[in-house]
Amino acid sequence: MNNVFRTERRKLTAQLSTRILALVIVTGPFLFAAVLKFQSGVPGDTLLGVWVHSSGFAISLVVLSFAGQWGFPIIAGVLAGDLFSSEDRYGTWKMILTRSQRRRDVFAGKVLAAAAFSLALLLLATISSLVAGLVFTGAQPLVGLNGMLLSAGDCLLFVLIAWIVSLLPLLAFTSIAVLFSVATRNGILGVLGPLLVALAMQLLALIGKGGIVHVLLVGSAFDDWHGLLTSQRFYGPLIEGSLVSVVWIAACLGGAWLILRRRDFAGTPVPRRPGWATAVRVVAVSAAVIAVLGVATNWGPVTITAQRLQRAFTPTFTNLTLLQQRQLGRAVPRGAKLNILTTCQRRAASNVGPGDDWTCTLTVLIPQAGANPFNPTPVTYDMSVKSNGCYKAEAPPAFVGNQLMRDAHGQEVVNPLYTIYGCFDTS
Amino acid sequence: MNLSVALIRRMSVSTRIFLRVNAVRASGLVKRFETTCAVDHVDLELGEGEVRGLLGPNGAGKTTLLRLLFGLLHADEGSVELFDRPLGGPDSLLPDGVAGFVEDPSFYPYLSGRVNLELLAELDGTSGATRVIDDALERVGLADRGHDRVSGYSTGMRQRLGIAAALLRSPRLLMLDEPTAGLDPAGVRDINALVRTLSRDGVAVLLSSHQIGEVDEVCDSFTVLRRGRVVWEGTAAELRSEAPAAAYRILTSDDETVLGIAGDRTGVHAEPSSDLGLKLTIDDGELDPFVLAVGAAGIAIRRLELLVSPLESMFFSLTEDGPGRDTTPEATA
Repeated sequence: MNNVFRTERRKLTAQLSTRILALVIVTGPFLFAAVLKFQSGVPGDTLLGVWVHSSGFAISLVVLSFAGQWGFPIIAGVLAGDLFSSEDRYGTWKMILTRSQRRRDVFAGKVLAAAAFSLALLLLATISSLVAGLVFTGAQPLVGLNGMLLSAGDCLLFVLIAWIVSLLPLLAFTSIAVLFSVATRNGILGVLGPLLVALAMQLLALIGKGGIVHVLLVGSAFDDWHGLLTSQRFYGPLIEGSLVSVVWIAACLGGAWLILRRRDFAGTPVPRRPGWATAVRVVAVSAAVIAVLGVATNWGPVTITAQRLQRAFTPTFTNLTLLQQRQLGRAVPRGAKLNILTTCQRRAASNVGPGDDWTCTLTVLIPQAGANPFNPTPVTYDMSVKSNGCYKAEAPPAFVGNQLMRDAHGQEVVNPLYTIYGCFDTS
Repeated sequence: MNLSVALIRRMSVSTRIFLRVNAVRASGLVKRFETTCAVDHVDLELGEGEVRGLLGPNGAGKTTLLRLLFGLLHADEGSVELFDRPLGGPDSLLPDGVAGFVEDPSFYPYLSGRVNLELLAELDGTSGATRVIDDALERVGLADRGHDRVSGYSTGMRQRLGIAAALLRSPRLLMLDEPTAGLDPAGVRDINALVRTLSRDGVAVLLSSHQIGEVDEVCDSFTVLRRGRVVWEGTAAELRSEAPAAAYRILTSDDETVLGIAGDRTGVHAEPSSDLGLKLTIDDGELDPFVLAVGAAGIAIRRLELLVSPLESMFFSLTEDGPGRDTTPEATA
């Protein structure tokens, strides 16, 4: 197996696609950070996106969020999607399998090489995104996912951990690419397969209110670091995501090995004209799978509820309000709290499940003199809640001011109440 | 080179015969693809140092048989032993010293020939690969093109590289599928010389070909396949003794008189050729006396060319469709 690993390492290193991928991973974050540096816009739809001008650590985490959606499936596809099918394309199976290697050694060596390159590219992306963020923006503290300000040291640690825990889901996608490569013997399908799976998982994550299918979506495991970026950390999703990744790895690699083990290497197959029957069968099976999964997204315990959202959003809003007051130079006593009544609901019929139609109304009870001790001040946020428990909240400027504000020193800073990111435990 | 190979090569030929080990022993091999039976109850034995020609037209089952012997295909029936060790299931390890290729040898086109060989040597765990690779490239005449990318190689160069790849395994059994395909005449001569050299060192060689003319000089024995079945098997001498007369075309200054001379001689038959001159069918050993007789009659021979050799005639008679062609026991019973 070691010999196969070494040969695969040489082949992967020599391939143009691997070199281009490494180049993009190294230069991409720098280009991204440079573009952000010279424009005022922010990638607000991405978690922590509004903070990219305030802390270099946000840049690394935004890059990680993008990588979790598209970057890692692309890496997996390019590295492993053609790993086996290229031997079919070049007709080299017969050369490899007539040397002193068992099929299991060939399989294990190739998989190991893909895993090693996945790890190497992950580390490369970690370093490049972190360095790019620190060079172009700096090592300022970052507002965490419950509104607390995290020190630069904590941020560095969390960013490193966030990238490292993405390894298991990345390996899961690498395994999916291996399965596509072995099963289809087609490099294009092998490369695109993980991307299509990622897209399907993102769509499934948007629908249904049950927890079973959402837990099994390995694409969501890339977001499991969110629980670390809060003052009250939660590890449930991280553990679940890691276990799910291991299950995907075992299932995909096991399936791929069974196919390869039983395979006859009978030369180049005669290409057949694809008939209607095959196309109809593929469409029918795909439609059936999508329909079943669509229905299945409602199975299992409900993970997104109004109560959970209220419990998570209230302290986050409180923390951010106090942060805003400090930035404006107002004295905020230690341990200060706001009296808030929060009501979250969906415009849809039931107040459960992920969606873009959530609203949370926070009624801040401001103390006042007179017969009525409180002046209720309502603020309503439009909420976009994901199945992984992360949300983005936005309020009209009339309530919370503009996205940028002047701090006590006259400098333009991000208004922490304009766009609020947060996450809560769904496990 | 491993110890066992080195020891075998140091033995005298007589010792090797005494200790004869079958390089290949295939019994009752059957391989079906959907409705086609590509290999139909084939038995094959090949001793060390023997060069066997595996002959048959396209689609006869030669490549499928080689794939079965390499373990690339799973036999539906029958068994394969290489050096008296059964070839196991699909995950079995090919014994050391078994080398060769099926169909055309294939390589990674984006790498040089040398790097391709380095990768294959790495898979074999060959130590001191640089010297071994240099030697292999030298033997196949690619020493000065080893650093070129394979994508720029001609078919013949790939064929040579395939043979170099096989040599890396210090072969005791070499199985080559159409090794001279795409080679120029000099290349064919070089490969045949290499095969003879390896055979003298005790290497068993199985050469698949659909052109008997390219391998008849180098083979000790032949197995002829037709539609997946063995239709003839024996030594080269047996094949030649059973071969029909050779056919020639002869252009002379007086065809009419030559027809008469041919009619007077036994073992010689002449008839007007459809295009030019005469077609001459003549038994082995009768050609020289016939040519002398024509010359003695004062007739000039302007051209004499071989149309079909005796072995080719035999090959065609064994492998072409027609009544009475199948000589297998079942067919002749």
